[in-house]
Amino acid sequence: MDSVFFYRNPNPDASGNGPLGHLSIATQPNISIAGWPAEAGSHALAGYTALEDASVAARLRKKGANLCGATRMSEFGFGLKNSLAAQAVQKGDANAELVLDLAGECRLAALHEGLCGYKPSYGLVSRYGLIGLIPSMEACGIIARDCKTIRDILEAVAGPDEYDFSVPEDAPVSFSTQGIDPEKISLGVIEEARSALSDEDRVIFDARTQTLKKAGFTIKTLPFPDFSLFSLVHRIVGSVEASSCLGRYDSVRYGKRVPGAKNWNEMYLQSRGAAFGPLLKSYLFQGAYFQFEQFSGYEDACRIRARLLSEMEQLTTQADFLILPAVNSASIHAPNTTESLDDTYAKVFHTAFTNVTGQPAFYLPFEGNKGVQLAGPRLSDARLLALGEHIQNMQQRGQ
Amino acid sequence: MEFEAVIGLEIHVELNCATKLFCDCPNRPGDEPNLNTCPTCLWFPGAMPRTSREAVQKASLLCLGLGAELQPVSAFDQKVYYYPDLPKGYQLSQAHLPLARGGGMDIIDEEGRPKSLRIHHIHMEEDVAKLVHEMEGRTPISLVDFNRAGSPLVEIVTEPDFRSPHDAMEFLKALRTQVRYVGSSECSMENGTMRVDANISVRPKGTNLMNTKVEVKNMNSVRHVGDAIAFEISRQSACAQSGEAIVLHTRLWDPDKKVTVAMRAKFEGPCVPDPSVPSIVLTPQAIEQMRAQLPEMPAARAQRLVTEHGLSGEEAVYLSTDPDVAGYFEALTGHGVLPRTAMHWLTTQLIPAVRERRQELAKTKVTPARFAALLQMLARDEINANAAREVLSHLFDSDETPESIVGAKGYKQVSDPGALDKLIDKVLAEQQAAVADLKSGQGKAMGFLIGQVMQASNSKANPKMIRDLMAKKLA
Repeated sequence: MDSVFFYRNPNPDASGNGPLGHLSIATQPNISIAGWPAEAGSHALAGYTALEDASVAARLRKKGANLCGATRMSEFGFGLKNSLAAQAVQKGDANAELVLDLAGECRLAALHEGLCGYKPSYGLVSRYGLIGLIPSMEACGIIARDCKTIRDILEAVAGPDEYDFSVPEDAPVSFSTQGIDPEKISLGVIEEARSALSDEDRVIFDARTQTLKKAGFTIKTLPFPDFSLFSLVHRIVGSVEASSCLGRYDSVRYGKRVPGAKNWNEMYLQSRGAAFGPLLKSYLFQGAYFQFEQFSGYEDACRIRARLLSEMEQLTTQADFLILPAVNSASIHAPNTTESLDDTYAKVFHTAFTNVTGQPAFYLPFEGNKGVQLAGPRLSDARLLALGEHIQNMQQRGQ
Repeated sequence: MEFEAVIGLEIHVELNCATKLFCDCPNRPGDEPNLNTCPTCLWFPGAMPRTSREAVQKASLLCLGLGAELQPVSAFDQKVYYYPDLPKGYQLSQAHLPLARGGGMDIIDEEGRPKSLRIHHIHMEEDVAKLVHEMEGRTPISLVDFNRAGSPLVEIVTEPDFRSPHDAMEFLKALRTQVRYVGSSECSMENGTMRVDANISVRPKGTNLMNTKVEVKNMNSVRHVGDAIAFEISRQSACAQSGEAIVLHTRLWDPDKKVTVAMRAKFEGPCVPDPSVPSIVLTPQAIEQMRAQLPEMPAARAQRLVTEHGLSGEEAVYLSTDPDVAGYFEALTGHGVLPRTAMHWLTTQLIPAVRERRQELAKTKVTPARFAALLQMLARDEINANAAREVLSHLFDSDETPESIVGAKGYKQVSDPGALDKLIDKVLAEQQAAVADLKSGQGKAMGFLIGQVMQASNSKANPKMIRDLMAKKLA
């Protein structure tokens, strides 16, 4: 069995023609590609084969890219348990990989493999054909070794889509290189994100910001007292959306159906009970609790989300970009065998905020080791990518 | 103790759009099962809803036609519940931000007084699939037809202003007329394009209590709505009288036994905003543009029919109730038929004949042009009324003109005085007793004698001329 790939394209479709003809791109089986198994890492979709291409896949093919296969993933892309995302790129089997970023998964997978991981602005890239879980927060992320590859891929997949009306008609489609003058750019450090790090991690993070300061960037410390609420809001709103979204997986038309039920209600209950793994099941239980028992809690979370969004918009007027750590090392080293919701949300503490707000975010490795996370205002993707490219070039020059 | 009812209605109206609400599948639920489906309305993984512009426009026109205020922003939510007719586990509906608020209908209550019944809000939603329950041998099976899944609906939710079955029935009739006028739906309970649920509670008369309500479903006509409400008021009043508690639940109307039967506990699923369906944003300009598209509504049309065509208020209201009927009437007058003749022949002859043949006025072969040609022959005395009725029945079965049918069937009226004179003389000679009765002042004898002449002419004689000629002869 292929260790990284869940499915390999038996008929590689790279023609060599088109602007992306030189790229071999891996996906995950929650991105529909006609004729490919699309099980999204779940028994709930066992045996399901996609009927048509997701818009991102169709656009990449149109630009000449070779979609080489789908890698193993966590159930519905939630968390990184059982996920082998980014390994195909690390091993050289693909130049890039598309990974849904629900709470930071794309960026954290890149971090694990020392690669670049990009989550675009919400609404910039069509979600048509993506087998999602948290529709108001997820975005199709891109993992690659370098920022330029990410930029080329984003340029191919971004922009309005007749199949996804939630992409605004004025979504940008051009990401051409923009000059970055460090002397004119300020990077805001959210103090509450920094102080949540372990002492060891904080030393490394501070060293990164010092490096950037020496390169000419202005570093500002910005307070965001309620930063910790982002992951809480994500956890409540995300679980409710997940519970609602996964209602359709009833094992009638695909998925594993448990035999022996006496009626349809029993069949639904037993099949759904058997379909989902423990982590996702606990997430769905939590979502169902808020839906059916504590809806006012969900409504409160939505109100807090709106407030956080407003406060973040205010914050991003005080610096051109934000710079944050991507993860707390202690959370990565938590045992993986019995990953709980608490474990999962501890890992995404520093990343989930951009899924809550819809901002673009970039994980950038630093000197081949722990890197930093950059974020910008919503739809500032072109400038954020330019910033990432500048910093990567700066490192390559040994600055 | 005397009780009074507190009633509110939830009315689902299926919009007559070409496509479903969130995909391009034809909106034809009656086609061969599961013919009109796609990954979106089957809710396969990765599918995304795309709101139909036509559905938003037709729903908006409907709201304006009911006097409701279109909201600047409305949005869809996922209304969560699990049932085999909804395999994605939620229905897309506007729970939090409806398309319109307010509006209402004016009716005449049972005491003959005007009464206003208010609408709370109007929202859009998708229809669910249809379950068909059958037997496979001795095993009961349920089949799912997805043709209806995703059909565009609006739900009109009223205030609990209704106090009687009469209120509900009059409201529904008025609403049906308004919706048919704006052209957004056929609004037929019999065909399932209008479905009504009634929420009913009772309270001691004279109080403002809002007691536990019971929801009643499965009424297939306006009459059934009235009957179901009447039964439920009576049932709940008896419960209240005996001290039996009313429990919130849903009941089904059984039209054969004329009773409501407990179905299940009432379930209200949670509603989660759906970020995949963009909000509907209506600018003031867009709303005004839609308002400009509203046709002349029934009350204004009735008023115009009175002033332009000299109809009585009652006649004008009757014609205006159905836009097809009013349109037909005006088409007849447009072809030169006198309003009084058009009114009389349309209501007493054509509409009953159309109903008898189970046709629709707007689609029958007897177009206004053909019917007008027939009535003009009548006006020119080329045929008499009996012949016109005969020709009318032929018009339903053939594409020939009234003129050619009259010619071919020999319906042309005999108006030649010489020929009529001979027939009259013959009848007067044969019916001496009737002539004597007439001369002695028994006016009824004239009708008998005219009838005899008509019979002698095989119903082709001009009855007016017969009367005139006979009067001269007997003077």
